Amino acid sequence: MLKGKSNSQSRVEASFGSSVTEGVIVKSSHRKIKIRVNGIWYEFEVEHDIQPWHVLSYVLREKLGFTGVKVACEAGECGACTVLMDGKTVLSCMTLAVETDGHDIVTIEYLGKHDPVVAAFAEQCEPGYGTALQCGYCTPGFVMAARSLLNENPDPTVDEIKEALAGNICRCGCYPAVVQAVLHAAEKLRTEGARK
Amino acid sequence: MTEEFKPRVARRYTGTYRPRIDGGEKARGTAEFIDDIALKRRFPDILYAKVLRSPYAHARIKNIDLSKAEKLPGVKAILTYKDPEVASLKPTNAAWTDGTNTVSYKCMMWKNFRDRRVLSDHVCWVGDEAGVVVAAESEELAEEALRLIDIEWELLPFVLDPGEAMKPGAPVIHPEITPSSNVLPPDNFAGADVILERGDVEKAFAEANVVIEVASRYSNATHAVLDHWCCLAAWEDDKVTIWSNSYEADQTRMHVSEMLEIPLNKVRVICPYVGGQHGRGDTGDQPFFIFTALLAKKTGRPVKFKHTRRESFPSGRTRELQYCEIGGKKDGIITGVYLKLIGDSGGYAGHALAALKRIPRDYAECSLGHVPSLKMESYVVYTNKLPSSCMRSIGNIQVNFIMGLALDTLAEKLGIDPIELALKNIGNKWAPLPNKSLEAILRVGARKIGWEKRHKPGDGSTYDGTKKRGIGLSFHHTWNASWQELRRGPIQAIVRVNPDGTVYLEAPTVETGPGSSSCCVFTCAETLGIRTEDVHWISTVDTETSVKDQVQTDSAVSHILPEAIHTAALDAKRQVLGLAAPELGVMPEELDINDGRIYVKAAPQKAMTIKELFWKRDLFWGGDLVPVLSSVSMALPDEVTGNPYMAAFAEVEVDTETGQVEVLKLVVLGDCGTVMHASGAEAQQIGGQCIGLGEALTEEIIYDETTGVPLNLNFIDYKVPTMADFPDIEPVLMEVWKGAGEYGACGIGESAPCCTPRAIANAVYNAIGVRIDDNPITPDKILKALGKI
Repeated sequence: MLKGKSNSQSRVEASFGSSVTEGVIVKSSHRKIKIRVNGIWYEFEVEHDIQPWHVLSYVLREKLGFTGVKVACEAGECGACTVLMDGKTVLSCMTLAVETDGHDIVTIEYLGKHDPVVAAFAEQCEPGYGTALQCGYCTPGFVMAARSLLNENPDPTVDEIKEALAGNICRCGCYPAVVQAVLHAAEKLRTEGARK
Repeated sequence: MTEEFKPRVARRYTGTYRPRIDGGEKARGTAEFIDDIALKRRFPDILYAKVLRSPYAHARIKNIDLSKAEKLPGVKAILTYKDPEVASLKPTNAAWTDGTNTVSYKCMMWKNFRDRRVLSDHVCWVGDEAGVVVAAESEELAEEALRLIDIEWELLPFVLDPGEAMKPGAPVIHPEITPSSNVLPPDNFAGADVILERGDVEKAFAEANVVIEVASRYSNATHAVLDHWCCLAAWEDDKVTIWSNSYEADQTRMHVSEMLEIPLNKVRVICPYVGGQHGRGDTGDQPFFIFTALLAKKTGRPVKFKHTRRESFPSGRTRELQYCEIGGKKDGIITGVYLKLIGDSGGYAGHALAALKRIPRDYAECSLGHVPSLKMESYVVYTNKLPSSCMRSIGNIQVNFIMGLALDTLAEKLGIDPIELALKNIGNKWAPLPNKSLEAILRVGARKIGWEKRHKPGDGSTYDGTKKRGIGLSFHHTWNASWQELRRGPIQAIVRVNPDGTVYLEAPTVETGPGSSSCCVFTCAETLGIRTEDVHWISTVDTETSVKDQVQTDSAVSHILPEAIHTAALDAKRQVLGLAAPELGVMPEELDINDGRIYVKAAPQKAMTIKELFWKRDLFWGGDLVPVLSSVSMALPDEVTGNPYMAAFAEVEVDTETGQVEVLKLVVLGDCGTVMHASGAEAQQIGGQCIGLGEALTEEIIYDETTGVPLNLNFIDYKVPTMADFPDIEPVLMEVWKGAGEYGACGIGESAPCCTPRAIANAVYNAIGVRIDDNPITPDKILKALGKI
């Protein structure tokens, strides 16, 4: 499981509106929600900072600037917007932001370049499989789906990888290399785990 | 088991297996695309534009009432076809160029077919941009405003089938272009109706022992890229800046400059990474750039226009009706070929003309170069379906589909192996038969797939009670050698060697995914003798600061930019060695560079790094830390070197009970001339099958034939292959042919899907003994062909 940077830290961004400032929450009749994103709690006033119909992908990208989250189909058909909620994948284009109140969200930005899954996708180049990404638009979604799979199943078979990632579309067709990248990442994670 | 590719000439980086240079930023989500830039966070006063879309296949706006929409709070501007700044715009076309070159309004590729207005009262397909566009504070408000507009439509008769559209009396869609017919008239660039005639086909057929006749139909797939058309326009005084996911930065600048009649230096186009294009960008002169710029001007605010997924669907392959006759002698020599194509251009003219008129001529030259008699006839027809655009393997995938059918059929009738038939007849006119490149490709492919397992059509064993297996192939010439890219004009690149030995490489190309940027960096590092990580490739193309960008069309950028970079880097290296020679006490030609270390070839221990060289000179001369600069604007070699070949071999299993086709194995082979990046090239060969496999088995836009409404514009009903659908694919890179220049490579990415639909269709025939010559091969077609439904 991915752990947040700090469970106790609660930060409210000042830029959402005049009613909310760092550390000082002005009384309002609107409902507030708190979402922990990449280890930091953010508070939003519904119908002020965000609207009830705003989806999570919108809030992550537009309000918080986590543009590693990609939006493509906006209908839950392609997987590009995949993020983790409490360690499991959700399609952020199909999840209302208000539904995530009190939950822990992890986006690609949290993983960073040393994450074994990120590194495996970046470095994949072994003969016969091509590279695990080309245009890169679907990649964050694939990485997050792979991260979730490996959280639950540290030693997946090729068929298990295919099943777990079949909801993600890569029009550049990097699927065979993605499978290899996930196998390599799993191996690396297991080695790291054994060392610890 | 995959055999690792071994380059013909071993080089430090070129032709090796290594990670992409952009892998890191893309894997961790930091690579920026247009939608990551055009955000309210970055442009707080951003407005969102939405265009009215036609609910009818063919109609005209009679009257329009904006009063309710104008009153909606948050609506900031509405433009219609009646507004003077719109009405005064020149008629246009969305395909001024195929991206190879930048062209002016006057010289646009299809200048005789300027059938579009930026906003028009005339709509030609369901989903067509109609005469109104709105800018509002949010996308939802813009959409709501469109719903509040009252429009009185005049419904016009429409026609959906190209065959029907050609008949006298069919409703004429663009009388201003074709007054009495929907058939696009002959044109200097496109050619006449009979696009090519060589020898005497009638005589050739009379002399043949066998003449076969075949017909097929090619449907329309869509690019299905995830990064939908998007642009953001903002004005500062009289200068407009456009951020976009066009892959033609320089051409977009020209398009906007010419349409709005403002100087080139008052149009700045900025293109970041693009999330896939697969040919979409060739119709990059989209009217939306112009109306978005006009809305931004009218409101004085930045305006964003972005397609939804649904709006992005109507852009894709030209639908074709195809017919072919081939005459052959008993000894397997083809005497003549007759090909007739009818292409469905949809509501507007554009690159359907390239697919139908120009590509078959390439096929005649590059694949049928030794066939003595040939006649090709081709028609492009307007219908009220979505307009055809350019798509990966434009025209070639369709020509391959019919010609691969014809050759397979002829081989069977003559009792000859299709590979032997190919080697006796197929090749370009510049090289003798059998063509060495084609022969190498087909022999290796046959070995990889187990060609000897191929049986007579339908005669194989049955597996699991209902399943039959079959093997098929298809092959094609490639079309991206440097002599085929001369329209690009001079290729520009700049190499700047910093005093610490790191390099800025300005080799502008909008990186849409093929990995050309990696090839550029490898060339630069290899020629200079430095490490790849010391080369910084500038990923954003900005027409204000960049030299002319090379457009990824034809997949040629992976080799043509490296040719220019090689020249620039050689010159930069010569300059560095010139500075180092006195420091090391030898002549420059006695020196070389490896991993940034300049050394005396005869005494490698006598060495210094590039940084040490500059630092030493700085200490001695003081303040002499000026980077070494080398820029080129270099013409491509014009030597006509012919072209190499590629092929796909497929093994399929067809369930005769369910009609399901499973591809068991796909071998994709390409003669690259020189492999620029082995991992990247294999990624193209494998990745192209997402389109090749999709078009073979699942992908097609389906219409309601009574209304012209497209029915499956989403990823559930339009099935793009996923990981679960992908077969075992073996990529095979080869180097047999060589073009002109240092590398003499040939693009292979665009052509990667080209042979797949036909190879699979031939394999299905081999499996079940019945032909389905209408792609995609869906279960219902199989069951119908088997007489089961």
